[in-house]
Amino acid sequence: MASHAGRGGRTKIRAPRRGLNGADVDFDAIWTVLEKAFREIHTKNASQLSFEELYRNAYKIVLKKKGEELYNKVADFEQQRLGQDVRTQIVNTLSAPLMLSHGSGNTLTTASERLSAGNKFLKELQQSWDDHQVSMGMLTDVLMYMDRVYCADHRQPSIFAKSMSLFRDEILRTPVHADQPTTLEILTHIILDQISMDRDGHPIDQSLVKKIVYMLEGLYESVHEVEDEKLYLSAFEAAFLETSAEFYKEEGERLLKESDAGAYCRHAKRRIDEETNRCRSTLSEMTTPKIQQVVEDELIRNKMKGLIEMDTGVQHMVDNDRLSDLALIFELESRVDARKPELTKAMQKIITDMGKEINKTAETASTTPAATGNDQDGVKAKAGSNKAVNQQTVAALKWVEEILALRERFENICKLSFTSDQTVTTAINRSMAEVINLFHRGSEYISLFIDDNMKKGIKNKSEAEVDATLEKAIIVVRYLADKDVFETYYKKHLCKRLLLDKSQSIDVEKQMISRMKIELGNSFTLKLEAMFKDMTLSEELTTGYRRYVANLGSADPRRADLGINVLTSMTWPLEAFRGGAEDSNEARTKIIYPPVVRQLKEAFEHFYSGKHSGRKLTWQSNMGTADLKATFPRSKGGKPRTHDVSCSTYAMIILLLFNDLPPGGSLSLEEIEAKTNIPKGDLTRNLQSLAVAPKTRFLVKEPMSRDVKPGDRFSFNDNFKSDFVKIKVGVVSAGNKVEGDRERKVTDEKTNEGRGFVIEAAVVRIMKQRKELSHAQLLSETISIVSAQFIPDVNMIKKRIESLIEREYLERLEDAPVPSYRYLA
Amino acid sequence: MGDHILGKHQIEKALADEAKQISSGRLKEENPLDTSDEFRRFCEASRRGDLKVCQEQIGNGVNINARDEYDYTPLILASLCGHYEVVQMLLEQGALCERDTFQGERCLYNALNDRIRNLLLSYDYSKSTDPLQPLAAHITSLLSRETPRTADIEVYTGDAKFYLHKFILSARSPYFAKKLAAAPDTTNWRLSQSIPIRSFETCIRYLYLGEIGANFGEAEDEQAILLGIDKLSRQLEIPELFENITNPGDRRQARQRRTEEIERGRDQVNAWFVSNVLRHCLDVETSQAEHVKWDRDNAIFADVLLRADEDLDDDEDEEDDDDLTSDSALKLRNTIGPLNGIPIGHFDSAASRPPSRERKPRRSKLYPCHRAMLLRSEVFETMFASPFREGQDTKYLQIIPVDCSPDVLRVTLTYLYTEHANFSLNLALDVLHAADMLFIEKLKQRAALLISTLGNGTASIVEPDNSRGSTADTDDEINIYDVVRAGWDTRVHRLEEFGARYIAYRLEQYIDEEEFKELVRESANRIQKRQETDTVELIDDIRYYLSERFRLRFEDAFLDEMMDEADINEAAAHVQPERHEYDQLHANENPVDEGYSGSPAKGLPVDEVEAPGTIVRTLDGEIAGDEFAQDALNYQILLGKIEVLMGRLGLDG
Repeated sequence: MASHAGRGGRTKIRAPRRGLNGADVDFDAIWTVLEKAFREIHTKNASQLSFEELYRNAYKIVLKKKGEELYNKVADFEQQRLGQDVRTQIVNTLSAPLMLSHGSGNTLTTASERLSAGNKFLKELQQSWDDHQVSMGMLTDVLMYMDRVYCADHRQPSIFAKSMSLFRDEILRTPVHADQPTTLEILTHIILDQISMDRDGHPIDQSLVKKIVYMLEGLYESVHEVEDEKLYLSAFEAAFLETSAEFYKEEGERLLKESDAGAYCRHAKRRIDEETNRCRSTLSEMTTPKIQQVVEDELIRNKMKGLIEMDTGVQHMVDNDRLSDLALIFELESRVDARKPELTKAMQKIITDMGKEINKTAETASTTPAATGNDQDGVKAKAGSNKAVNQQTVAALKWVEEILALRERFENICKLSFTSDQTVTTAINRSMAEVINLFHRGSEYISLFIDDNMKKGIKNKSEAEVDATLEKAIIVVRYLADKDVFETYYKKHLCKRLLLDKSQSIDVEKQMISRMKIELGNSFTLKLEAMFKDMTLSEELTTGYRRYVANLGSADPRRADLGINVLTSMTWPLEAFRGGAEDSNEARTKIIYPPVVRQLKEAFEHFYSGKHSGRKLTWQSNMGTADLKATFPRSKGGKPRTHDVSCSTYAMIILLLFNDLPPGGSLSLEEIEAKTNIPKGDLTRNLQSLAVAPKTRFLVKEPMSRDVKPGDRFSFNDNFKSDFVKIKVGVVSAGNKVEGDRERKVTDEKTNEGRGFVIEAAVVRIMKQRKELSHAQLLSETISIVSAQFIPDVNMIKKRIESLIEREYLERLEDAPVPSYRYLA
Repeated sequence: MGDHILGKHQIEKALADEAKQISSGRLKEENPLDTSDEFRRFCEASRRGDLKVCQEQIGNGVNINARDEYDYTPLILASLCGHYEVVQMLLEQGALCERDTFQGERCLYNALNDRIRNLLLSYDYSKSTDPLQPLAAHITSLLSRETPRTADIEVYTGDAKFYLHKFILSARSPYFAKKLAAAPDTTNWRLSQSIPIRSFETCIRYLYLGEIGANFGEAEDEQAILLGIDKLSRQLEIPELFENITNPGDRRQARQRRTEEIERGRDQVNAWFVSNVLRHCLDVETSQAEHVKWDRDNAIFADVLLRADEDLDDDEDEEDDDDLTSDSALKLRNTIGPLNGIPIGHFDSAASRPPSRERKPRRSKLYPCHRAMLLRSEVFETMFASPFREGQDTKYLQIIPVDCSPDVLRVTLTYLYTEHANFSLNLALDVLHAADMLFIEKLKQRAALLISTLGNGTASIVEPDNSRGSTADTDDEINIYDVVRAGWDTRVHRLEEFGARYIAYRLEQYIDEEEFKELVRESANRIQKRQETDTVELIDDIRYYLSERFRLRFEDAFLDEMMDEADINEAAAHVQPERHEYDQLHANENPVDEGYSGSPAKGLPVDEVEAPGTIVRTLDGEIAGDEFAQDALNYQILLGKIEVLMGRLGLDG
């Protein structure tokens, strides 16, 4: 230890020279000094006091283990000072109006009197609080050692905390006079009074109140200063919230009676903002969420129903497109409940009502003419029903348009007023779906709508417009529950479009299909796609056949050209082309083709069977069309003229009959029928267009009447005249129209049959996997699988299960507690 | 060790990289080779676990992170040999154990047990800070500190204004030193307009030991700012700044450079402190101290005078009242009384002698200081921020008395200005108290460390060579009662532990003393006041160390089991051949024996014959066996004595 050469040559830990081992300090003397200094501090005379001296004195006392005495002395000193001097001053500022107003209502004095008296009191209180804090801050500085050592060791609150609690007890918690409320109660009352003045529009001294609130925030229920035991919270806030709740309850009720919904919303919003501001400027930010809760409860949550149902409520706003008001309501309700139940409910109701209205109109439009169609018979009835069918088609289109408009309208409201809120949007969508599915012809109408657009709507439209149209169509499809019904209709309509070449653009058709694929899944579009595939294959087949014919070498100028569509029988709803149920029984009567055509037919059959063995071709002559060159001797100014005639296959067969007749010869209806074997309905219809329709009157009928009747005779019209080279023979009722009742029955039957298969497949699939399953479970699983396509009928499922049991796919479990099935492999 | 441990090849690669960087001069070697005798002794002490020598060597300024010719650092040695206390002390004083360095990983790998390893990990550099960092942080914080106001010069550049401290500028920049020496009363200084504010800001941060970012914005701005810095660093004569900025380097280099920079800064401040504050210290008669008048504008920019009155030494007991009367006559303030008097000494406390005028007048020292630095003490911080007299500006510098001796004040100031805390043991308790009074926690810890290491009371594995002679020495060196009480008063747990251990190892000396009894009583009171438990902390601690003291010995001799069987003879027979070794190792058991027997003479071990209950065994046993038997018995007897003492004090436990 060479470096530490102390006295005597040895290092030594010297005992500390000061403080610790000195004589006992003279506590009283030191306290006298300190007390005097503290008085100076409280009278703001500290500038000449020496911090060092005071600190050292306090330090020594604590070091001498007299910390407790010192602590208590200081506390006593403060208690005395507060309890006597300070309190007296404050109590003196309590003037009569304040004392009177407390307890006996506020009516005795005017607001401004109360305000000025209150302010005087608040000012005094705030001043003493400030002084107290500053002085105690200084005391704390001086007594730092005591705080750090004595208080920490003995788990005492710091002297500052202690003095704050003294302030609370001596000033706030002591009755002003005996048997009177405490200062704190009076204080609370004054602040509440001022706030209510503020709400009524009397300006008050916000910063003063804020300062007082600061004070209350700085004080605690106990010396331990637990954060949630602030005096502000315990003494003031509760009272504040309570009076506020009362106030707003009353105000809300009054406003509901007096003003309209929009004004109410604006007022409520203003009140909420106001309270938020008040918390910031006058009270404490801590209260913000709580007072908001109160206002929301009173002005919104409890009043929402009333508000929505007001005469000027949501219904009114929707009717008048008051988007901003709707937005207000939405904002208000989303404040109190994220799910916005009332508004959602109201919106749903409105949509359902409006939707039902639309449905009803469509319903009447579709049923009225049908009713009139019944009482007539014959030609007129036919024409009438035709017209009715057209009308119905129009109604169908109108229905879809209106539904779309409705949807768009609410979507717009959603976007503009409800900030595209998820819950509301979902609810609205649900209501839309409900409306659409409530209308039992929805599927058909929607398909018709698409059909119409495909045939006419998209003509001359830009790509974007077409896109929008498709999107619209898909939107409605999305709402449909019975997707399988829709599929049936769509298939039927698509079939006609394709075969009759009515579609504006195959590309758009394909786009539509791919959209459906995205929306409804692969299985939905499988058959539709197959139809397109058939079309493409047929085209190839046709060209292939032509090449084949060309390669035969024997170029026969009289040989007719052939375009053929080979359709897979399962995919194509060919019954769509049969005029109705009448000829379904006598189907496939052998049509007698003219030799040219028969030759052609045989040649193709030969060609086809060479390509695909084992396939059977069934000729659907009722669907075909033919292009003819017809020469009319006296067509134009007596000169013979050749027209290109496009007509149905049947019409061609009929016309070709007249080639073989001598000029002037005629055939009766029965003769024609016998010679062609065309089903009667088709025959009549075709003859009608050939002999009745003025523009295509290639035949002359005897007698001249609108209707084709048995015994009528037909002869070639030598005098046919037309300005056009190309003439198209209209095919009666070939377009897609609304189904008649009978047709619909057929469709429904078919649909149900299809559903039956789907259900059976689902049941088998489930059971194969699970082997054994209870009835209820099987039911629910089946429903969940199937519901992607349609909403199944439980009875139907039961029947299917029965049928499966009969066919020994399943068996009932005998001993199961609940009805169950087992899969039989 | 939950963390990953680097593979050997990784460490070798790191080592090779490091060597390359060092040889190329880019990296400073963190563990330079040191073959000096001092370092050798330091290493030896670390190896043996000799806290005292270690502390001495550190105090002498040996590089704590150097290595010996076998590449061992003291820290590695201490952790390898399992000296927890030494490891802790080394780490506390700045020994590095950084993961991902060769030496650091080696240290961890070599640690004897998990306790030490965890200690090392807890000091991994990310947590342990540069010991100078607090000082640097304080000086940097002066730039942004609002209250109390300590700045004494305003520097304008463009439209920005900086409030700075002349003494720091002067200490850190030769340019400012010259300028300010020429005109010490300058209160503002205008900088040339052409230098960007950011440049100046950077320079100031540098002068104030702040970390300097390397990001100066966009290329164009950066150019201008760097240019400005270059110009300024030449003008202010701080070339290192520009070098540092333009040469960033990797994280480790940057850190090393920062450490160097702070060290240089500290040395500059230190030099300035020594040549200004200490040199201008005034030595006056206490009675005159109040009249010293220093102008606010002085050459060393001091803004406050700290006054420390000399101790009244034991051999010239000056009377309090004397001081007081003279004070009260002179002082302007009216708050005198006995408070200003300083109770003196620790044994003559009761003395209250009449004034004796003929004594040599007491002297005081006045240190001109800077508030900015004093703020490191919370008391001064509060004082200068308060609205009391000390917080106000006066024409002449305020004189603030500090209740300690001038030496202690010097130590304190040195610490506040420079973070140096090397002082002699005889000041340690005073410094401890002063630091406690002024809330300078780190200085307090340093004083406590000094006492507990140099105080020679450690459970040093090495027994003193001449146990009998040294016992007397240590007795004189330290008044353990004072130390324990100081530990209590200043709430330094380390000292309580130290005291308990110290006493335990010499219990036979203290057990019968009256003051020991008093101390136990105090300890009991302390605890009872705190919480309602029945144990006496001091006694618990002593018992613990006592068991440690004896158990060590038993374990050494593999005698634990035999002791249980209490078959001393057999044990003795076994141990006999090794006797001489043990004799040497445990030579200081003799005083133990003496303490027990209460004999003042340094008698033979056989003295214990007198002890009741040991007669039979000692009679039976041979002398060789006695030492172990003795230990066991002594242990029992000492425990018994404690029981008796506790009983007499009416305490449980």
